[in-house]
Amino acid sequence: MSARTVELFVNGRRVQAPVEGAEFLAEFLRERLGLAGTKVGCGIGACGLCTVWMDGQVVSSCLVPAVVAAGRHVWTVEGLTDLAEGRVTDAPPGLPSPQLVQAVQRAFVQCEGLQCGICTPGQVWAVCALLSEEPRPSEERVREFLAGNLCRCTGYQGILRAVRQASEEWAPSEDP
Amino acid sequence: MRTVGRADGWAKVTGRAAYAGDVRLPGMLYAALVRSPHPHARLLRVVKDAAWSVPGVCAVLTGEDVPYGTYGRRVRDMPVLAREVVRFAGERVAAVAAHSLQAAREAARRVEVHYEPLPAVLDPEEALRPDAPRVHEAAWRYPGAVVGPDDPPNLQSRRVWQYGEDVDAVLSRCPYVFDETYTIPAAHQGYLEPHACVAWWKPDGSVEVWASNKSPHRLRAQLAACLGVPADRVRVMPVYVGGDFGGKGSPMDVPVCVALSQATGRPVKLVVDYEEDLTAANPRHSAVVRVRLGVDGEGRMQALDVRAVVDGGAYAAFKPVEHVNLNGFAEAGNTYRIRAVRIESLIAYTNTVPRGHMRSPGSLEANFAVESTVDVAARALRLDPLEFRLRNVLRTGDRGTLGEPWMEVRGEEVARAALAALREGEGAGEESTADGGRWARGVGFAFYCRAAHGGETEVELRPQPDGSVVVRVPFPDQGGGQHTVVRNVVQRELALPAEAVWVQQADTEELGTDSGVGGSRVSLTASAAAAQACAQLRERLRQEGLEGWELRAALAELARRRPGESVRAQVKVDEELWMNSFCVQAARVRVDRDTGEVRVDELVTALDVAGVLNPPSHRAQVEGGVVMGLGSALCEEVVMEDGRVVSGNLHEYRLPSVSTLPRLRVVLVPGGRGWGPYGVKPVGEMTNVAVAAAVANAVADAVGVRVRRLPISAEAVYRAMQEAGR
Ligand code: FES
Ligand code: FES
Repeated sequence: MSARTVELFVNGRRVQAPVEGAEFLAEFLRERLGLAGTKVGCGIGACGLCTVWMDGQVVSSCLVPAVVAAGRHVWTVEGLTDLAEGRVTDAPPGLPSPQLVQAVQRAFVQCEGLQCGICTPGQVWAVCALLSEEPRPSEERVREFLAGNLCRCTGYQGILRAVRQASEEWAPSEDP
Repeated sequence: MRTVGRADGWAKVTGRAAYAGDVRLPGMLYAALVRSPHPHARLLRVVKDAAWSVPGVCAVLTGEDVPYGTYGRRVRDMPVLAREVVRFAGERVAAVAAHSLQAAREAARRVEVHYEPLPAVLDPEEALRPDAPRVHEAAWRYPGAVVGPDDPPNLQSRRVWQYGEDVDAVLSRCPYVFDETYTIPAAHQGYLEPHACVAWWKPDGSVEVWASNKSPHRLRAQLAACLGVPADRVRVMPVYVGGDFGGKGSPMDVPVCVALSQATGRPVKLVVDYEEDLTAANPRHSAVVRVRLGVDGEGRMQALDVRAVVDGGAYAAFKPVEHVNLNGFAEAGNTYRIRAVRIESLIAYTNTVPRGHMRSPGSLEANFAVESTVDVAARALRLDPLEFRLRNVLRTGDRGTLGEPWMEVRGEEVARAALAALREGEGAGEESTADGGRWARGVGFAFYCRAAHGGETEVELRPQPDGSVVVRVPFPDQGGGQHTVVRNVVQRELALPAEAVWVQQADTEELGTDSGVGGSRVSLTASAAAAQACAQLRERLRQEGLEGWELRAALAELARRRPGESVRAQVKVDEELWMNSFCVQAARVRVDRDTGEVRVDELVTALDVAGVLNPPSHRAQVEGGVVMGLGSALCEEVVMEDGRVVSGNLHEYRLPSVSTLPRLRVVLVPGGRGWGPYGVKPVGEMTNVAVAAAVANAVADAVGVRVRRLPISAEAVYRAMQEAGR
């Protein structure tokens, strides 16, 4: 198979690796770079497991050809965790704040926002992206924003509770 | 104070939790499979040359190249790769390993397979006729087979449960007999992690395996039997499992992955696409269930006759229970007092995807059929459906329908709780009724009762020099929260803070026994084993003269004095517990009179509980089950055409999404009698079962038509309304 080299920025670091044929970003991250925190379910953009951040927004990495990601800035759940744990010194603008990530991760753990956990990296990314833009979304808005992030285990109730708790902690309501 | 949360929570939110597909080993190859497009065909010839020409290919295997036997959880009827004949569309015909996934896929595409299509049998009823084409020439020859040469061709399993008087005799005396037939389609368990494994046949002849499998010890035994090696040569490594719901208990593609590793001398990773998992793994059985219910003049149920004809697909390999049948059928009608009960479940081999277990196997099929029939009867007798159920509900002191001496039955209390919650919610959240009469509203109920069973497991406690305890368990946490339950028990028994208790899954070499996560039994056995291990640990501290010490200091001292020492406790529950749990499901729906569209506004689930080990996980299990039940009710079906699964991926096989959920209300009715030191009742398979019947009954309440097939689609309701002239 003919391989070509792709260069991009992943979690703030410049990386280079060969890609072959119709290789997508999700597979590139997992198999070429060993960043297995990004999961793959459907592979066709219908489940949200592979959600990562690319140049300012969350995308389904199973739909992005690896060659299209060349030169872009991609952040995965590993980078998000580095951010939350204070290991990122020069975060590019637009990434969620470390305190927000901490609040979201904590809320998922505390509110049973996860069970098997296979959808969790994608859910965490999606929720961080949402609360970063809209710190106090209505429940309607949360449901609409997370419509593409499937979860088979939780029945979504724990996830909705986690979003509420994280939002409350991150942007406390004014009124008592 | 906020709850500490799940024991596996941080590993999962940070992306550090490793699943089978996340494993990467030095020199690892990637695998891809070639699958049959035909439901039934003779394999004439496989040409590998073009596949070999892809750079980076290291192995191209067909059935003849694999030196192993067949495999299965009970009945070992499935070949690792097809030989001579393929029996379903999607069956593995060849396997490729290459240096990259892309190369493996390309090579798999280039494998040329020549087939001679054979007549296929696609319907279980037809399959059981004497002249039907045979799926297997001699199914009774497979190890573990439960059929004989004199059985009808294509019989996979037959079970009959009966108790009390002769059913036909009692039915013939009943003034009212309701004779109804219901259809339940195949469905996928819907776990979002497709099957994945990494296998490594090492130079010394031992095999290491990482697999999306919920019962590592059983997997080891099943693999050893297939490979023809002693079990201690196979080691199953701990990984997280990305959802199970009954579908992740078999070897699935592990044997072929091992074959590729043995052929190449390298570790091999095999992760199937979601399409492959949907079309060729082990979905829920499809069934046609006929119910005859006899009722007397006072509205009392007298006799129940249930006959299910079930499609088992091309192999029985994925069913774990003794008779490779679906024990959920035995629950038919078990929420009521009925004098005569007879239940028969016939499973046939067909040339379709092999079926497996899905959360509470057989229960949903039985429940949808019986609880719909009960509603039909109530309406025909002009009785309120809930009132009719309560008139007949089983009570503490009654024998069960199959003679079970239940220690309690809490149906009545649970039903009253459901009704109270439903009344509270009345009117809330509904849009105004000024919709021109377009929406008809209705409420429906369904009862469900499930027995609890034992199992066996082992727990090990290792005190650490920092005064914490590492708890080793032999089972994975596939999401059910088992590791959290164990942590909470140890925390409570030893009065330790949560952060001083670390739960880890051991591999199969380190801990000896476990019956796997399944049948919702883990919280029972593991909590008992953990409590026992804690008592033993306290005893060790006493022997060491450390009982007066502060506990963490004592643990640290023990770890210092006796490095590596641990205590282990095993629990085996093999007697019948005669314990059950009761669930009353209510649904409030709206039906569009013009289109038949069904919207579920509210689901109220009332559940009989005893001791709850970890309330947040318990609640989450309940909620997850209800939403899964909603999927079965409204949208989930593995659609087959000419024996091929045509629901290609998650855009066609629709799982419930957060954007379309109704209001959920969970009402726990405490005070039940549970089992073990914490008096627990299992919950994992309770709440997904009765939703479908409750929704169907609510639709009947709203528009007066009966939907007898799942899922309840707008088309089906529309058609039924047309036929009824409404
Ligand atoms: S794997 Fe990318 S959306 Fe499902
Ligand atoms: S936690 Fe299992 S799919 Fe969401």
